[in-house]
Amino acid sequence: MIGHDEQLAGVDGRLLQAVVENMKLPLLQVARQAELARMSGSTDTNFSSIELTADTALRLLDNYLLSTRLASRRGSIEFEPVSVSAVLTDIAHQLSKLADQQQCELQVNISGRYEPVIAHRAGLEAALMSLGYVFIEARSAQPVTSGKRIIRLGAHRGRSGIVAGIFTDSDSISNDMYKRAHSLYGHTRQSLPGLVAGSGAGVFVADSLLETMSTRLRVAHHQKFSGLAATLNPSKQLSLV
Amino acid sequence: MAHILLVEPDISLGKLYTSSLELSGYSVSHCRTAQDAITSADENIPDLVLLEIEIAIHNGIEFLYEFRSYPEWQDIPLLIVSHVVPSRGALNPKSWGLLKISGYHYKPITKLQDLLSSVERVLATDGVKAL
Repeated sequence: MIGHDEQLAGVDGRLLQAVVENMKLPLLQVARQAELARMSGSTDTNFSSIELTADTALRLLDNYLLSTRLASRRGSIEFEPVSVSAVLTDIAHQLSKLADQQQCELQVNISGRYEPVIAHRAGLEAALMSLGYVFIEARSAQPVTSGKRIIRLGAHRGRSGIVAGIFTDSDSISNDMYKRAHSLYGHTRQSLPGLVAGSGAGVFVADSLLETMSTRLRVAHHQKFSGLAATLNPSKQLSLV
Repeated sequence: MAHILLVEPDISLGKLYTSSLELSGYSVSHCRTAQDAITSADENIPDLVLLEIEIAIHNGIEFLYEFRSYPEWQDIPLLIVSHVVPSRGALNPKSWGLLKISGYHYKPITKLQDLLSSVERVLATDGVKAL
């Protein structure tokens, strides 16, 4: 039997989805208006910045909605063999403008050749992209350590699968911080105060998306960088390497 | 000059898409409802249709089926530009061939430049060019 709290949570969830869906339209108008101004020859650099900011916010909302859609049909999600290196390369391409704007250097680092993983491609892409937004925002506000602010999209083989995630040269990510973030999430404006000034919503969107694929985000390390990553199950169908 | 029928319920987005298409040399008729779109196509047969399937009063899919039911409009190239995720609902990719849909743009991730490239590609395939 569904309790009163669960019923309220369901109503709140549906209301939030409706509000988020509505918020996409004004963001889309702002983003495309700024793009049109740029296309029309305006040299005002603010238009590029507005376009990028609105597009980033729009993608985050869209990724959240994807997580709710996937969560609602858990058990019937169509998984497929997905190349992690292709996804990371694609995301790096899509994040590159934001990284440039925030003075971060993006690197893609795939340690080895791996078979595809079993995942929902759009879900995995949305999860890693949401995570990328948070890392870029976080790292851009932190001091430069080695002459650059580096964000690394990386993958390596772990004990139980392929570990894919976003890593940085900052030492602000720890297991304690991430556990605390999960307990603070929903109760405070800043769930990840040691990492990012805002809510860090992208981390929780990414985690929700990955949860629909039966995996979760966890703190991981990749070539001396620390970050958040998920362990993905390799597909046995298309083992080319 | 290629003529484009734009079916877009949102007035701001409609103006934005119209401006960017006109900037690229196309003439555009912007309609916000299915009925207006049918009337507009009757008055001036378009070389290409850009359609948001989430429209008021009528369903965009209904419009699409009706549009394709008229012999003179059956071969007009049509691009979907929509808030609706492609694989959802009645318009899954399996029905694209039946309805002669030349492409699908998911609005939240479609820049004007991407849309213009598709328009140019589809019209070029059909042998129509911008001014």
